[in-house]
Amino acid sequence: MRKALVVASLLLLVAFALQFVFAAVGAFTKPADESAYTLHSITGMAVIPVLTLLTILLAALARAPGRVVGMAVLPLGLVVLQALLAMFANAFTDAAGASTPIGLTVAGLHAVNGIVAVHVVVGLHRAARQLADPAPAAAARVVVREGEPA
Amino acid sequence: MSTGSLLAADLVIAVLATAGWLGGGAASAARRRRLTLGFAAVALLATLARAVTIVALARAGWWFAAEKVVVAAPLSLAALLVAGVRLLRPPADIRSAAVALLFAGYAGSGALLVTLLHGYPVSPGAALLAVAGVAAATTVSWRVLGPRPSPVVSRAAVGVAVAALVTGTGLAAAPDAVREVPHEHEYRDTGAVGEPTRRFTLTAGTATVRVSGRDVAAWAFDGQVPGPELTADVGDVLEVTLRNRDIARGVTLHWHGYDVPNGQDGVPGVTQEAVPPGQEFVYRFRADQAGTYWYHTHAVSDVGVRMGLYGVLVVRPAPVTGVDVTVPVHTLAGLTLPQPRTEQVEAGVPVRLRLINTDSTTHRYALAGTAFRVAAIDGSDLRGPTPAVETAVLIPAGGRYDLVFTAPATPVALFVDGRAVWSTGPVSTATGSWPVLDPLGYGAGAPAPWARFDREFTVVLDRGLDLRGLLPRYAHTVNGAAAPDIPAQVVRLGDIVKFTVVNRSLVVHPWHLHGHHVLVLARNGAPATGSPLWWDSFDVRPGDVWEVAFRADNPGAWANHCHNLPHADAGMMLHLMYR
Repeated sequence: MRKALVVASLLLLVAFALQFVFAAVGAFTKPADESAYTLHSITGMAVIPVLTLLTILLAALARAPGRVVGMAVLPLGLVVLQALLAMFANAFTDAAGASTPIGLTVAGLHAVNGIVAVHVVVGLHRAARQLADPAPAAAARVVVREGEPA
Repeated sequence: MSTGSLLAADLVIAVLATAGWLGGGAASAARRRRLTLGFAAVALLATLARAVTIVALARAGWWFAAEKVVVAAPLSLAALLVAGVRLLRPPADIRSAAVALLFAGYAGSGALLVTLLHGYPVSPGAALLAVAGVAAATTVSWRVLGPRPSPVVSRAAVGVAVAALVTGTGLAAAPDAVREVPHEHEYRDTGAVGEPTRRFTLTAGTATVRVSGRDVAAWAFDGQVPGPELTADVGDVLEVTLRNRDIARGVTLHWHGYDVPNGQDGVPGVTQEAVPPGQEFVYRFRADQAGTYWYHTHAVSDVGVRMGLYGVLVVRPAPVTGVDVTVPVHTLAGLTLPQPRTEQVEAGVPVRLRLINTDSTTHRYALAGTAFRVAAIDGSDLRGPTPAVETAVLIPAGGRYDLVFTAPATPVALFVDGRAVWSTGPVSTATGSWPVLDPLGYGAGAPAPWARFDREFTVVLDRGLDLRGLLPRYAHTVNGAAAPDIPAQVVRLGDIVKFTVVNRSLVVHPWHLHGHHVLVLARNGAPATGSPLWWDSFDVRPGDVWEVAFRADNPGAWANHCHNLPHADAGMMLHLMYR
């Protein structure tokens, strides 16, 4: 189960990395229209939420410590927030549908939130690997302890 | 503060409250005492602020606040009680408050998800599923964070979660009692309209058109975007033969704003079958409404219209005197049409600019260099239009405004979203800060033709999760349902019908009823005081409540939908049926 957690968190990390790629695809597609972001929104609204739920489930089944379960749950909240930020960025337009400073600020937060989410998932993946294979970590600690007196 | 801003503010505050509780829970689990109290303070403030926004929304209309009062308020209250009581005297080991704070966070998340996924109408199923989620998440947190709850508490929580889950799923999955979705139609025949006096043939096909020096792949009528301009005089009988050369997904012609007999309306699956490649369809109708209209395909309308299957239809009551210009604005492959044009117009010549918005979103038009009058909107003449100067007009998707003026000796220019589209010479006026004309107070008022209504429908526009299709989708919904599962509105011939159109969502929905023009009665409770407005397309902005009415005088099955065509594709489409 802990191995599965490692794999799931890695998949989640890959999905998040791809999100940045798909955002760039959307930004540089010509002509620019809403359909340019189809890959980005499918990954964000379907693939990532499913992978996140899977990670949470595996973290719970693997009897991971509370901190790791928390780190598995956090991306779910960030993903919901991410969708909301995208919605707000599109909502804060002027009467003719052009973007406004507020809308663009929120759009910026969408990017920041994405970076935060990646950091959390990187942390989760590290914790999952340590959980699955604690020996090297323990050995490392032993090394430190041995080094201390010297 | 407008209701639209209130809706957005309420969501932001709900997110803050939820994030505050969840952050507090995480901080307390990590024994960060000060951080915990900080997060909790944010959550507390946000929860209190939310009481204000919910009350304000309820005052603006129950539609906006229903699920917030019935679902979010009790959950927020429970959150406040449980977390507040626990933190009133913060425990020595702050970690012991973690479960209470997390519970508050889960309650907030549950309420938020109800608003986002199935807000209106209030659904007991959705509410119970939220409760089940909150109970389950709290139980798991409790077990993870320890100390373990007593068996009694644990069993009770599991019991609540399971009971809520089962009942909620049952309620959510149960089919609604009344679903009147007619799917089988017999297409009505035209009836006799007399011998055609104007004949046109439009051939739809893929084409490459040149826009601003670029070759663009398009779908076009007769190889041009926009398609040929069809003109007629009042009293003409039009016969338009539509041929499909190679549009694989089919084509039809819908006469936008023209109240043709049902069989000529061009809605595939409702008034005819889409015309497949190699086939044709003949439309015949009498041109008895003067004014500015347009035609477009209604088969895969989102893609079809965007790719260029549209054109102008102008019906004139008398021969043209002066200059008569049509300006159908469209965005083709990111490029704006029509291309800018300069025309010499002698001073003193009357000019009529027929502005048409064929896109899916609102455009802003500004006429610089002259005073003008809005002679007609959506083809219907306005009563007593007064001169306007340095004023912009907002035209909704599908809408038309006719601006008239007498050409001055100095140049005049029409700007669309700040870009000069038609001019009589160089004009460098910044129009961005001009006020926008409000048609509801423009021109001379007239008493309403009807005092009572035979039938009233409320149309609440929102977003929501639609699980009825093959794949779940985040649909644009009407009264909580998405096409094709929205019950039809059934009327009788001769009925005076009133629509109340409410926008709960955060985006504009340009509403478009086929086959009829609706009279605008009121917007956000304020009656329309200007010229009577007979419209076929009107922008319902976030938080808006529009009241409109019409006489049911054109029997058949009519589409009634959002003219932001991606929204219509994503579920925002229903039908008006005659019994």
